[in-house]
Amino acid sequence: MSRPNPLLARLPHALLLLSLLYVASHLRPAGDGEYRMNGFGKLPVQDLGRIKPIDTLARTSLMVLSNRQTFWLAGDTGGADRKRLGRADKTPAIRWLLDVIARPSLARSYEVFRIDHPDVLALIGAPEDRKYFSINEIMANEDRLIAQFDQARNVDRNDWTPYQRQLMNLHNKLTLYFSLEDAERLRFVPAPDGDPDWLTLRTADAPARRTDRSIEYARSITAAFIAWRDQNPTQFNAAVQAASLGLEDVPPARRGRLTHEYQFNQVSPFILAMSLYVFTFLLAILSWLRFGTPLGRAALWILGLALVIHTAGLVSRIYIQGRPPVTNLYSSAIFVGWGAAVLGFILERLYRNGVGSATAAGLGFLTLLVAHNLSMDGDTMTMMQAVLDTNFWLATHVVVITLGYGATFLAGFLAIIYILRGVFTRGLDPAMQANFSRMIYGIIAFATLFSFVGTILGGIWADQSWGRFWGWDPKENGALLIVLWNALILHARWGGMVRHRGIAVLGVAGNIVTSWSWFGTNMLGVGLHAYGFIDSALLWMFIFVGTQLAIIAIGLTPPHKWRSHVARSPGAVAGGPLPVPSRQP
Amino acid sequence: MKQAVPILRWFSSLQLTVVLLALSIFLIFAGTWAQIDLGIWTVLSTYFRSWIVFIPLQIFLPREWNVPGAIPYPGGFLLGWLLFLNLVTAHAVRFKWQWKRAGLILIHAGLLLLIVGEFVTAISAEENRMTIVEGDTVNYAVDIRAVELAIVDRSDPDRDQVVVVPGSKLARHSVIRDPKLPFDIRVEAYHQNADLLEGVERAGGAVVADQGVAATRALSVRRLPPASGTDRDRSDFPAAVLTLEKNGTRLGTWIVSLFLTLTDVPPQPVTVDGRTVDITLRHKRVYKPYSMSLIDFRHDKYPGTETPMNYSSDVRLIDEAHGEDRQVRIYMNNPLRYRGETFYQSSFLEGDQGTVLQVVKNPGWLLPYLACAIGALGLTIHFGTRLSSFLRRGRA
Repeated sequence: MSRPNPLLARLPHALLLLSLLYVASHLRPAGDGEYRMNGFGKLPVQDLGRIKPIDTLARTSLMVLSNRQTFWLAGDTGGADRKRLGRADKTPAIRWLLDVIARPSLARSYEVFRIDHPDVLALIGAPEDRKYFSINEIMANEDRLIAQFDQARNVDRNDWTPYQRQLMNLHNKLTLYFSLEDAERLRFVPAPDGDPDWLTLRTADAPARRTDRSIEYARSITAAFIAWRDQNPTQFNAAVQAASLGLEDVPPARRGRLTHEYQFNQVSPFILAMSLYVFTFLLAILSWLRFGTPLGRAALWILGLALVIHTAGLVSRIYIQGRPPVTNLYSSAIFVGWGAAVLGFILERLYRNGVGSATAAGLGFLTLLVAHNLSMDGDTMTMMQAVLDTNFWLATHVVVITLGYGATFLAGFLAIIYILRGVFTRGLDPAMQANFSRMIYGIIAFATLFSFVGTILGGIWADQSWGRFWGWDPKENGALLIVLWNALILHARWGGMVRHRGIAVLGVAGNIVTSWSWFGTNMLGVGLHAYGFIDSALLWMFIFVGTQLAIIAIGLTPPHKWRSHVARSPGAVAGGPLPVPSRQP
Repeated sequence: MKQAVPILRWFSSLQLTVVLLALSIFLIFAGTWAQIDLGIWTVLSTYFRSWIVFIPLQIFLPREWNVPGAIPYPGGFLLGWLLFLNLVTAHAVRFKWQWKRAGLILIHAGLLLLIVGEFVTAISAEENRMTIVEGDTVNYAVDIRAVELAIVDRSDPDRDQVVVVPGSKLARHSVIRDPKLPFDIRVEAYHQNADLLEGVERAGGAVVADQGVAATRALSVRRLPPASGTDRDRSDFPAAVLTLEKNGTRLGTWIVSLFLTLTDVPPQPVTVDGRTVDITLRHKRVYKPYSMSLIDFRHDKYPGTETPMNYSSDVRLIDEAHGEDRQVRIYMNNPLRYRGETFYQSSFLEGDQGTVLQVVKNPGWLLPYLACAIGALGLTIHFGTRLSSFLRRGRA
């Protein structure tokens, strides 16, 4: 090989710098305009039992209505669909919330209610080529809607048809909207003396609980709304200023967490990490075609950067909530991806062949995408149901088992790359086959350990809480299936029943087992009762399983049809047996 | 270890391990899908705590397709014991007992104990429920999966005299005679799940209940399929139509039903030989040698939501035999363990008027802990050494 090209040698540095600049552009705080919108967004509100910045309430509410955290504004017309507005500005959710509260007649014309189901669209007499509607358009059909809501409410929610579920979804959106519009009932006012039950603008001067401070604070908030209604920036800014100074009833530690959550919202670290994962993935794939060393190194570095941001987001959530990292399905998706990406990063450090980077980045991206879609249900840091409310077990059982999920997926994605590269490219030489096989085996061993220990810890939690170690309920069974599937792969390899190709095929099937345990068990209750499979989450689950089955089928094609196999000189390895892995466990 | 007997070699093979693991995976998969239609207890006894199970093909398909047929399949007991045998023979026949395998041997020993522990639980554990209204004292738990016909003689002011007939006996026998019973019972109908119809013309041929609440409210019984489904709030309401006789003389026909009992319809009086006894169909009671009073039940929600933040029961435990009289608090994730039983906070009565405690008795409860301790030690040894060699090889 000739002398390395000095430009190529600098390529990783250049790409890393580019990524750093991209990250830096996201960390820069957005400036305030005429109005101190940032200051207003930082103020607290107690919603769904949790104390959060008003900014979070605005974002999660708009997310529920329109699946987006921003909307488009052109003068006094606004909506989620830019094409309908001409020259429009991307506008933060907090401004939408201010309009909902203080300029309701204007906000009622914003087209932010997303409706997808054709029958629900027909119900409000809407053209099917539009997705977003204003509450004015929807409420024009109030009588018809109420009749339909009442019908659906008479049916057990488990027996709802897809139409009824979409209909009640609209019902929930309307309820949410009206609860925001009725701002006097929102709990904006910190209760005196650390009382967990915050006050609304209406109860702030209730005789039993009033203090000078709470009354004063409620006045500032009201003044801000009035100033916004009158579009008077001076008064608005003064009111926001007064409110921020009047937060003595919120303990300093809590105020720190509120500020942090506000910044967390601004940066959106997981979205940032997603784009870096995509970049890493592309670089890793390119590295298999050309410029292997510099591109591989760049991929590893940018994967590291993505991981730093992913980790920062994870740690932020832990700090804001004061909880272990996994508390619900959303956070499990964040954590599965994180665990898999860390393991993939370690693999890449060990093997330096781009495979660890590609799988880590692919899984990191996919799991964050899943998380993003789950976040459309609203606040992702909701309070915990009483039975789940124990930090010790959340920190041990849930974390360990979620790492087990992540590792099983990582093994499965390694196996996918093995199969696709082996069948469709000439790049999978015997040495690489052995390397792949070792990586998959090692990760499956890790996955077995974590899923097994996690499952056992879950049993102990169940015994501590309910006096029974194991109850065979769907979630427990799901966890056990992952343990058994991984154990099956290990034993099949130790028994010489599978070698490189076999372990890859079984590894891909592990993706199916894990996705079923992770999501499928949650869908059992709703999935199959009275109607067919038409729920978007269920649909995606089927698509995922379908792709995995297709890859398994590809992996099962006879080895002599694999392009990598054909590429090798006949006789060298082609005719002979593949190296038998060591039989000792 | 010379030539092992062929059958032992076959039983000890890794191939058998893989096949058994695959069979177990499918059984668990099927047993999870079955929970869409069947209650957890039915699934437990048919899939996981059985030797053989007939898995209906329907369970994997949309319910409106109506696919008949079932496949016979090894049940949880069979697969569990085969795995046990496989593991034991593997260590006896195939494995060499070496120090470097110590970790693996310990892991497998832990697994064997887990299998044994689950088997012990399966055959011996009992789960009952104790419902206490605030201010009341209770000295029994009920088995919500079984009913009994209670015949209560309240003529002694100090002590009620109670005779019970298990629901299973009502289901099996058409006539029940026993010297302890004040009358003979002719079972005209017994349904595991039924609802009561008020004032509806009955089909010809059915015996008409002419006594008690059935007569005053013109009730009749309609059979229902057993309740099921992932919705655990639904449960069976057994009901029976009983004709009572004394020395061949008919006293009349009554309807007894769990639904009546649970909706606070008082026990129905039967007069026989000049004295009056009450009859009622109720959940099977399991009496305890101690009693519990509910001092206070608390149920907090997060401010402004319906999400429960915590439940707790302050209970006074009185055990005269042990000379104990103390106050305990039972709350989420903090059960009371007493006399080999675990009491945990399970539910509560409407309006927070009382508490519902689950009472679990499992003689094998210690086995999983033992298994975990052994297994954890094994895992640490085994994977500690494997990980270091994996990392070494990766770098090479």
